[in-house]
Amino acid sequence: MTYSTIRDILVEAEQKFNSKDAIRYKVAKDTIAAKSYADLKADTESFSCVLEALGVQKAHVALTGMTSYPWLVSYFGIVNSGNVAVPLDVSLPMEEMCELIDRSDAVALVVDEIRKDVMLAAKQKCPKLRYLISMQKEVSDEEALSFGALLKEHKGSYDYKPNPEDLATIMFTSGTTGKSKGVMLTHRNMAENATCFDMKFPERSVLLTVLPIHHAYCLSMDILKGLSLGSIICINDSLIRMAKNIKLFQPNVILMVPLMIETMAKKLQDVAGLPPEIVKREVFGEQFHTICSGGAYLPPAMLDLFATYGIDILQGYGMTECAPVISTTMSWNIKKGSVGQLIPNCEAKVVDEELWVRGSSVMQGYYQMPEETKETLVDGWLRTGDLGYVDEEGFVYLTGRKKNLIITKNGENVSPEELENRLSESPLIQEVLVRESEGVIEAEIFPDYEYIEKKNILDIPAALQELIDNWNKQAPAYKKIYRLKVRETEFAKTPSKKIKRY
Amino acid sequence: MFEKLVEIICNYVEVDAENVKMESRFMEDLGFTSFDFMSMLGELEDAFDVEIEQQEVSDIRTVKEAVTYLESLVEK
Repeated sequence: MTYSTIRDILVEAEQKFNSKDAIRYKVAKDTIAAKSYADLKADTESFSCVLEALGVQKAHVALTGMTSYPWLVSYFGIVNSGNVAVPLDVSLPMEEMCELIDRSDAVALVVDEIRKDVMLAAKQKCPKLRYLISMQKEVSDEEALSFGALLKEHKGSYDYKPNPEDLATIMFTSGTTGKSKGVMLTHRNMAENATCFDMKFPERSVLLTVLPIHHAYCLSMDILKGLSLGSIICINDSLIRMAKNIKLFQPNVILMVPLMIETMAKKLQDVAGLPPEIVKREVFGEQFHTICSGGAYLPPAMLDLFATYGIDILQGYGMTECAPVISTTMSWNIKKGSVGQLIPNCEAKVVDEELWVRGSSVMQGYYQMPEETKETLVDGWLRTGDLGYVDEEGFVYLTGRKKNLIITKNGENVSPEELENRLSESPLIQEVLVRESEGVIEAEIFPDYEYIEKKNILDIPAALQELIDNWNKQAPAYKKIYRLKVRETEFAKTPSKKIKRY
Repeated sequence: MFEKLVEIICNYVEVDAENVKMESRFMEDLGFTSFDFMSMLGELEDAFDVEIEQQEVSDIRTVKEAVTYLESLVEK
């Protein structure tokens, strides 16, 4: 069944699965709490009432935090009341987080207390922000309003039907120039992307959600698709405890990024001598059957390795601009080397070797970035920036990238220019190139030898490493530079005097 | 503490125990990925009977920093 608004997904699921568990989460080391479909719908409507009472209507509301029940309630409460949710990466440096809150024109911020620094700074740095709502505070105070107290105070139903064409979410993604771009997605974009294809997962499957919730892949496939199938969505409280949480929640399915799959593969290979059924039972549990992989390239050998343990890996391909799924493999229809078949609401064509896609999941544009929007959307077609082709059965094959963007194995997009520009601010550096090398981000630097001589710097690699260490201290994990190369000669240049990247 | 940590490190990356030093950096020198590191922390929780918070470990780069952090948890 294809739904065209996020509200329809929730309302239909609540009618069908009412008192059954929708969300499970840990409240202590081995203690699980649960919220039913009825609880989830009631709480999200109460949060819509909260926003109305605060006068937040047809407005943008930012939210940031680890995956949690309050995060989910806030998200649905925002989008199902005609407001627009702006989910932000909880690991962003404070300055960048405030910049995005401000740039997204958010009037309220729902925030996890682990980002106390943002709570304190946002009031000064984000003049448009009228309300701060803390997910954990038990009572409202000068610092922020209490999510729990507001929910109790404004408990009630909220009967608003968003239009499929209404904007629901703005999600930020790395731009090739280094400035994050706010991808505008409507209810239709998101709801149809999550529900237009049938993966033949049984109703009431148990999912463990381990990816960051601000990612389109997690929000669409774990949460929206999961709810539409009446799944039990279990929240992994920390990547540190993922192995233990698999044993605790006993999931059937987990969405992962290739980095996680490859790490698990290494551990599986360590016990390769043991019978596969015993290994599967110990590591994943007998009930586990599927990993969905997305966000980055997955070596095809992983499919064979996990198949020996009776686990299917379904590989998908997409981008935030397409809400995000473009193609996915199904367990009964796998072509190795392909990233799956186009989903029903998506068509594709190839222009100058680049894959262009069109359909009801394609974004409305980048928020307040008309130039970038014009470059990416052409007559309703989305230029993916990926090189590839589609066979006669609709299977997608990727052959390279047109855009200069690093896609890390954990699915994060990093703009090399952003890092290069920041490093170039130092007088020590004359030229710098940032790239991915053997799974980590590497900076190759041609130092300014004249400056270095003038300043009498003797240990050049140490001075450059210090510069990189300083960058790493404040950068989110996926933007940290883990390898340094020092050049003695200038980089080769293109005719337009740009450094040759390849 | 150091010896036990080294033993666990060697389960995650292909490195000989004698090459793991206090000043070794997890990512740069030992070849950890961010997810290897998170998974290892989960094992350390059991090995040292402590509870590790994800947001407290983002600054740990070297084996020495990990030892210091673990010692502070064990002492609590």
